Amino acid sequence: MMDCGQYRRSILTDPRNLDADMRLHLDSCPDCTRYTEQVQRFERRLERAVSVSAPARSARVVPLWPGRSRSAGPLRRRRRWLAAAASFLLAAVVAGTLWVAAPGRSLAADVVGHMAEEPDAWARTTLPVPQPKLDRVLSEAKVRLKANAGLVSYANSCLFRGHQVPHLVLQTSAGPVTVMVLTHESVRTSVRLDEQGYRGEIVPVPGHGSLAVLERGSIDIKAVRDVAARVLSAIDWTA
Amino acid sequence: MKGPIGGNPKRARFQALCQSLRPDLLRFAFWLSRDRDLAEDVVQESMLRAWKAQDSLQDETSAKPWLLTIIRREYARSFERKRFVTLDVEELIAREEPMLAAADEQDLVELRAALFRLPEEYREPLVLQVLMGYSTAEIAAELDLSSAAVLTRLFRARKQLRTLCGEDTRMDPEE
Repeated sequence: MMDCGQYRRSILTDPRNLDADMRLHLDSCPDCTRYTEQVQRFERRLERAVSVSAPARSARVVPLWPGRSRSAGPLRRRRRWLAAAASFLLAAVVAGTLWVAAPGRSLAADVVGHMAEEPDAWARTTLPVPQPKLDRVLSEAKVRLKANAGLVSYANSCLFRGHQVPHLVLQTSAGPVTVMVLTHESVRTSVRLDEQGYRGEIVPVPGHGSLAVLERGSIDIKAVRDVAARVLSAIDWTA
Repeated sequence: MKGPIGGNPKRARFQALCQSLRPDLLRFAFWLSRDRDLAEDVVQESMLRAWKAQDSLQDETSAKPWLLTIIRREYARSFERKRFVTLDVEELIAREEPMLAAADEQDLVELRAALFRLPEEYREPLVLQVLMGYSTAEIAAELDLSSAAVLTRLFRARKQLRTLCGEDTRMDPEE
């Protein structure tokens, strides 16, 4: 069986892909579970960091295709905003300090905190997530989703409070709604969420933990509840 | 050369394909060169080369790796042409600061600056994995490395990044 050193080396080479040996080790090692959460949180920031803005067409005068006139040379934009950079770095350090100093948080706060780490998931789109990826994410949580759930545009298996959980985004006519299937988190009654611009509910699912459903301020809460009901009716619990 | 507009549908499709891939290719060129203008030049020249060689692309599903290889070669050529002797990373960071600190992404400034500081041999496989979604085997094939070498570089890249960003590295494994 894999030891902690081997596991941590593997998770640092590819934090998004845990093979069977790694999962086996993770199940029995709280330290590596904590380490994995830390590494995957960093990875989500890294994914956002590399995705710098890139227009589909060049802002430059140079044409994309031959047959049209070309400019004499590249347009060079050279600006120095060191003072602004220093401010941003200071803000990052302060934010990091506050994060580290934060006390133990509620389930609702952790759900909202997780949302903030994956802002790209909130894109409004008509493109569904590839079915193999959706299947893989759901199968890891031992659930299936019938087609009547609606258009799923994003699916990821996220480490949340020590467990891999499906993080889905469903598109509605009013905008995207995020759903987290929290089979390991039980709540007695529905918990309302209204923090940092996110609104929604964590609803109990007897025998299967709970379901967190959130939107970002533009959708009526009743529509969010409708999504929760629709997803619940579309889930097949296979475990 | 005659352009594709209003002409051959195959060429029009090729143009649309390249334009759909352009944002990711530009991002890749940016992280390779750490220079927005150079990245735009490299992508532009690569698109022209791709245009001329489009008949050699048999399968549209291979367009992304095909274009990426062209970009890597074009970047190497531009580097030779300009004969850069030294690169001052701090100056590069200062110059590209607007790119590194978009208004809604200020929490990522430190991480992007750390990516600038990573040696190219670590930065390139990391960007191929994180941005382009390449597997270890695909990175190995693109960079002409063994899979073991790729894994080592990915490990060192993240380890160095975590240190540069002040992450808690007490649980990080030794080399």
